[in-house]
Amino acid sequence: MWEYITFGLIVQLFVSGILFGTMYGIAAIGLSLIFGTMRIIFFAQGAMIVFFAYICYWFFTLLGIDPYLSLLLIIPLSLLLGVAFYYGLFKGAAALEDRVSSLLIAVGLIFLLENLMTVLWTADPRSIVTAYTSYVLRPWEINMPFTRLMALLIAVLSTAGVLLFLKKTLIGTAVRAASEDVVSTALMGINPNWVNAIAFAIGIGLTGIAGVTLATVYSFDPVYGFVFALKAMIALALGGFGNVVGALLGGILLGLIESLGSFFVGAGWNEAIAFVVFLLVLSFKPEGLFGRSVEKG
Amino acid sequence: MENRLLEVKGVDVLYGDIQAIWNVSIHVEEGTIVALVGSNGAGKTTLLRTISGIIRASKGEILFSGKPLNKLKAQEVVDMGVSHVPEGRRLFSNLTVLENLRLGGYLPRSRPLFNDSLERAYDLFPVLKNRKDQKAGSLSGGEQQMLAIGRALMAQPNLLMLDEPSLGLSPIFVRTIFELINTLNTQNVTILLVEQNINQALKIAHQAYVLKTGKIAMTGKGEELLADPEVQKAYIGERWRKH
Amino acid sequence: MKSKISVIIAVLLIIAFITLPFYINVDTSYFAYYLFLVFCYITVAQGWNFVAGYTGQISLGTHAFFGLGAYTTGIIWLRDITKTGYYFDPVLMVLSGLVPVILAIIVGIPLLSRLRGDYFAFGTLGVGQIVTVIFVKARQVTGGADGLHLPSAVFESMKPYYWTSFILAFFATAVVYFITRSRIGLALRAIKEDETSAASHGIHILKYKVFAFSVSAFLAGLCGSLYGIYLFHINPDSVMNLNNWMFYPLLMCVLGGNGTILGPIIGSFFVSAIFSFGDVYFKGTHPIFSGLLIILVMRFMPGGLVGLKDRILSRG
Repeated sequence: MWEYITFGLIVQLFVSGILFGTMYGIAAIGLSLIFGTMRIIFFAQGAMIVFFAYICYWFFTLLGIDPYLSLLLIIPLSLLLGVAFYYGLFKGAAALEDRVSSLLIAVGLIFLLENLMTVLWTADPRSIVTAYTSYVLRPWEINMPFTRLMALLIAVLSTAGVLLFLKKTLIGTAVRAASEDVVSTALMGINPNWVNAIAFAIGIGLTGIAGVTLATVYSFDPVYGFVFALKAMIALALGGFGNVVGALLGGILLGLIESLGSFFVGAGWNEAIAFVVFLLVLSFKPEGLFGRSVEKG
Repeated sequence: MENRLLEVKGVDVLYGDIQAIWNVSIHVEEGTIVALVGSNGAGKTTLLRTISGIIRASKGEILFSGKPLNKLKAQEVVDMGVSHVPEGRRLFSNLTVLENLRLGGYLPRSRPLFNDSLERAYDLFPVLKNRKDQKAGSLSGGEQQMLAIGRALMAQPNLLMLDEPSLGLSPIFVRTIFELINTLNTQNVTILLVEQNINQALKIAHQAYVLKTGKIAMTGKGEELLADPEVQKAYIGERWRKH
Repeated sequence: MKSKISVIIAVLLIIAFITLPFYINVDTSYFAYYLFLVFCYITVAQGWNFVAGYTGQISLGTHAFFGLGAYTTGIIWLRDITKTGYYFDPVLMVLSGLVPVILAIIVGIPLLSRLRGDYFAFGTLGVGQIVTVIFVKARQVTGGADGLHLPSAVFESMKPYYWTSFILAFFATAVVYFITRSRIGLALRAIKEDETSAASHGIHILKYKVFAFSVSAFLAGLCGSLYGIYLFHINPDSVMNLNNWMFYPLLMCVLGGNGTILGPIIGSFFVSAIFSFGDVYFKGTHPIFSGLLIILVMRFMPGGLVGLKDRILSRG
């Protein structure tokens, strides 16, 4: 094997890793927001991404709507769903910072969603094939599938969007404040439920975006989500809880680890490697590689 | 005619099964400084948190300008005109000074007045203006206290509740803080002050309450209590008599 | 469980369970299978409950301990390591309980000393997944994804499984009951209430946390061993299953009532009933209803069923 390694190959692996990693990154940003404000470990993040991938797929297959255009529909839908989830399911657990209840509600959601999707849409893998799906750019002899580049672009735009929201708007600042100290936020006259709902909305909104990019890039089936959620958690730990750009970078880093790991060590081990890195970072730099210091308790 | 801005009547507060506050009644007249003193664990912080809505009283009434507060959520209490600067300040340390102040002025009723409130805060605390883009966590203890108070003022409160503002501050800052409290009072801010530094607190207070294991032990004018031999013996002691 | 009536009911139930195989054919009865599963879940759940309810740490890696127990049994049996009987061999089962304890200590010391709360939960999840992957990949030792096949010729009847699972459930409950009432339990509760204060009273926090973690690992391992012997075919999907041996016991504890002795018991009976019912009548779609039920219960009754009883009683 080693004799086949060329510079081009390494670069290819890097590029593939980065492009795929951005999907983990977006999922991780959503997790970060939800966890940061409400201390909810939203295991269902992956299942939601798959759910929106299916919505995107059906918009395309039944209505002929181009996946990227469907974002115009899916983003508002996912934002609303996020608000609904918060007020409908997680408000109580968030108020009490009840980790276990929220974890189980999320798990219940996974059971419900995965099975519902299997029953409704069968367990067959789906993927979207459009006119441009097989279009591959080849700058400097490196394969860059168009859809993956678009995924990268969308990821970067989404991250920028979330960042702008958090830093430049008053509500966004309130979300950041609530991540630090929700009681003090209430003492400012800010309703913590609104802030939480917004954080949840953005979290789910990002799953909508990730779902669309997933649908265009990869094939998926109803149970694809759980492992994805675990990977998103690794990305989050790598990048740093509470750090938006860090979460994206964590995702990219994970994508790289997977891409390189797959090639050098084999596909199965690379999940173990990812988790070992996860544990190492958690143990020695719990604030993440890029994060700022966060209280451990 | 006295105008009771805040009335706490017969309030009980429980933490799970443990009762922290027993049948406490205090009142704060408009335009005054009222001090709540007592040793650690007497329940002073608990009482403030009950008034500001972080905790719920299990019995009793809390009235603000005649309107009941006890069933309101914390953010609603702020909207009524009560601002609470919590113990330990609890600033948003990862946010800048200006962002902290902005959040202080979040309430819809405060937002139109934001620029004026900000100017006032900068006038009172020039150091905040200098450091407005610095992260709140990087400020010194005294500066953080000023930011905490400034932030609370952004909501244009009628009643400002301060929990241990002098805690952990150097003597110079302690004096500054107490001068500041007086200044605010002359600007028509009613103040409910919880303090461990009994000496300073009683000096500036118009009215004071001594809280002991969750019950009101004594009450009276600030200077009266300061001169009271029991208070002196229990709380002030030899060290302080020299000052 | 202080009133005399409760004790009498409990004793009657215990007698009923022990004597069940004498009036029901446990080899064919679905009810007996259901009880077998319930007792297994109680064993694992009591262990999880012990760590979560009494030390305040949520472990998401229970399935790794369970699976380790099963695999230890499989490996020792197939390689004839201890030269004992193997089929329902107590030595084998105890060893299978101890191996996970070793993991618990190795992993517990760094995780419990460095990570709090959510981070600890993440950490245990990571450990669980790593162990799972290792077992899938270490084909030489563990048979990879296909797993280990035990000689099933020894199977004669469901009865020893039924009784052993009952004994394990009883043992697990008793162990947790007595530890929590001992000085160790007092220390654990102190740690849960206020760690800094407990430390200042000279309680060696890490030692107690690792101890609790090890107890839960031991119980899970014991049960894993039994289940492995039941299945005769030990593979990652059946014994290291994240759903079955991590989320379900967690759910049972919480649904039953976190931090109580009865909670895991009631929870196991209730949740297993729901799942069994769903599996029989709604095959293929039962996770939808189970998921919905979990969501509804956690949303409206986060205190679990035991909490519900308290709420009803306190209204009177």
